Amino acid sequence: MKNLYLGVDIGSVSINIVAIDEENELVFKLYTRNSGNPIDLVKKGLSKFEREIELDEYKISGVGVTGSGRQLIAYVLGADTVKNEITAHARASTYYHPDAGTIFEIGGQDSKLIIVENGIAVDFAMNTVCAAGTGSFLDHQAERLGIAIEDFGSLAHEAERDVRIAGRCTVFAESDMISKQQYGFTKPEIIKGLSEALVRNYMNNLVRNRVLEGEFIFQGGVAANEGIKAAFEEEIDSEVIVPKHYDVMGAIGIAMLAKRDVKRKGVESQFRGFNLTEEEFETSSFECSDCANHCEVIRVIADDKVIAVTGDRCGKHTAASMTDKNRNLKKDEKDSTKEKEAESKEEIEEVDLYKIDPEQEQKVMKELEELEEQEREKEEAEDNVLL
Amino acid sequence: MRLSFPYMGPTIVYAKLLELLGHEVVMPPKPNKEIIDLGVKYSPEFACFPFKVLTGTYIKLMEKDVKNFVTSGGHGPCRAGYYGEVHQRILEDLGYDDVEIIVIDSIHDDYKYFYDVAKKLKGDSSWLQVYKAIRIVYDLTKAIDEVEKQVEILRAYHDNSVINKIWMEAEKEFYKIKDRNDVERVKNKYLEKLNQYSDKIPEEKDRYRIGIIGEIFVILEHSINYQVEEKVNHFGFEVERSLYLSDWINENVIPFAGKEIEEIEELGEEFIEIQIGGHAQENIGHILDFKKKGFDGIIHIKPFACLPELISQSVMDDLSEKYDIPVLTVSVDEQTADANILTRIEAFLDMIREKDYEEVV
Repeated sequence: MKNLYLGVDIGSVSINIVAIDEENELVFKLYTRNSGNPIDLVKKGLSKFEREIELDEYKISGVGVTGSGRQLIAYVLGADTVKNEITAHARASTYYHPDAGTIFEIGGQDSKLIIVENGIAVDFAMNTVCAAGTGSFLDHQAERLGIAIEDFGSLAHEAERDVRIAGRCTVFAESDMISKQQYGFTKPEIIKGLSEALVRNYMNNLVRNRVLEGEFIFQGGVAANEGIKAAFEEEIDSEVIVPKHYDVMGAIGIAMLAKRDVKRKGVESQFRGFNLTEEEFETSSFECSDCANHCEVIRVIADDKVIAVTGDRCGKHTAASMTDKNRNLKKDEKDSTKEKEAESKEEIEEVDLYKIDPEQEQKVMKELEELEEQEREKEEAEDNVLL
Repeated sequence: MRLSFPYMGPTIVYAKLLELLGHEVVMPPKPNKEIIDLGVKYSPEFACFPFKVLTGTYIKLMEKDVKNFVTSGGHGPCRAGYYGEVHQRILEDLGYDDVEIIVIDSIHDDYKYFYDVAKKLKGDSSWLQVYKAIRIVYDLTKAIDEVEKQVEILRAYHDNSVINKIWMEAEKEFYKIKDRNDVERVKNKYLEKLNQYSDKIPEEKDRYRIGIIGEIFVILEHSINYQVEEKVNHFGFEVERSLYLSDWINENVIPFAGKEIEEIEELGEEFIEIQIGGHAQENIGHILDFKKKGFDGIIHIKPFACLPELISQSVMDDLSEKYDIPVLTVSVDEQTADANILTRIEAFLDMIREKDYEEVV
């Protein structure tokens, strides 16, 4: 039986599932649009996986989840590794391109810049306030122009003239686009202008004053867009490499990280098995009002059984609904705590964090006493007047 | 006087001080969604985030019929200096005419003004009683900070909730203290309790430490900073802040406190030459101080639209390169998404760990 490692990337626009083997070869790859119900899509993705892969030959030995929807799906799948998409992307990229120096990653709603030195991420930036300059921006403009997003990039090559489009804000870009159309610019020219606006935006917001060094890797859903790639190449005046699996790099990266974690710890995968495609999942949340913190407590329920509770800062709700296995763990911890309480009465070392200036203190004391004296005299004087 | 104050950090301290001076203290509510919504609705759009939270807190307290508030001021170009005035106007516009906001400005800035405020707040108590009250409160803040620093270390090696529970109990018990002996007793009790968990602290070379710097309100009050500290702890990193409550008390209220802060300010002068308000210059100093102490990275938290911290953000790139210390700037306000902050912090911490991991390999 061969080992397989699953990587799942729950993005805002797409949900990607991959499986890699021991040699990091891609065995399964699925890129789907996120239509708003990630649990269903993951279930469907897994069913497809079940149908396509000879499960008798393989064993799922590790599961990793990344992307902005990672927490919930991690509970649903029983993931071994849950990590952010920046780490995951960097991992996959440096595996395929060990000499990478700069990674541009533009996804559905966020764009990232990762600076790599000797195969290790040393700096990163991520768009902060707004999604202008990401996949959603292009999606929206393609729709406005009545062009399929798949054809969007290649059309830019047909442009004959340059046009500058104000691209800082998605909404204002639209009004600028409409006015430029009136001047007689063609659709390809507008598209080229948009691509340049997006790259300009990226440079201003993320790169800022950083010095970029090669190789330059461009990945994420938007890397499919030749127009953007060309605009990047023009901007940095160097070749930009789009990896073969540019659209699922996050999922590949997290699968690799899951493999590393499982091996390092030497444990069996927590994967809940393919039966989960049959289960019904539900989440509920409530605000605990037992103290001033008002934590938002979230419950994940699979077929009427609570599989995860999270969000409470004091651990009250988490502890109350633990699965049996975890409950035992907690008990052990409690016992050992009791022991600890009995045995350790060690002396606590004195730390003087904040010093007091004794001279100054004396002075202030004296001043205050004088003040008191003055006030008393004043009062006495007033009393005398009254008399 | 029946009065209240804005919520910032362990509020016990201010409450205790005012209580000891013989005031009837109304405990302010902890900032939550409702308060933030109220604040955002009635504040100017481009005011800083702490301003909005304070507005919300005051309006909420109107329900309890509080007329007097004690709050802190600010110095230099930082807008915090105007908070008191502007809040009073906003409340007046909303029809609360007879509200008074008493602003405590630093004793080191204007002795005379501070004396006037102190006189107003001291009420009928004698100056010696005031001295005693300040002494107790000073010990109390020191004790609380000492316990909290331990909490911030231990949470890295245990489930956050286990340590949080002890911390919450400690806060409650500190509230009941009556004199300086009580302070000492409660402090030792909880330090001992925490000490039982310290055997999980690994060897020096396996410890990772993150320094948290930034604007005072957002770094002290975890209910509005998306619990950054706990997030960092959760990934197994120890945390220390540049500012604790006692620092604020030191700076503003205690006339006889030692003044280490001046040394930190001097360090900061390398990148920000003059005082620009807030804690911008000190923050830079603290980064260099953290670096000296062997910290592995800095998380810089600033409220969206905070002027001094915006300036300090702009020197971070140079500083980070020159002193070889990674810095992550996170800006928070009511529009911030929790998932976004988590992603950034996790990626930042991964980056720090991977660097060392590679060296070991």
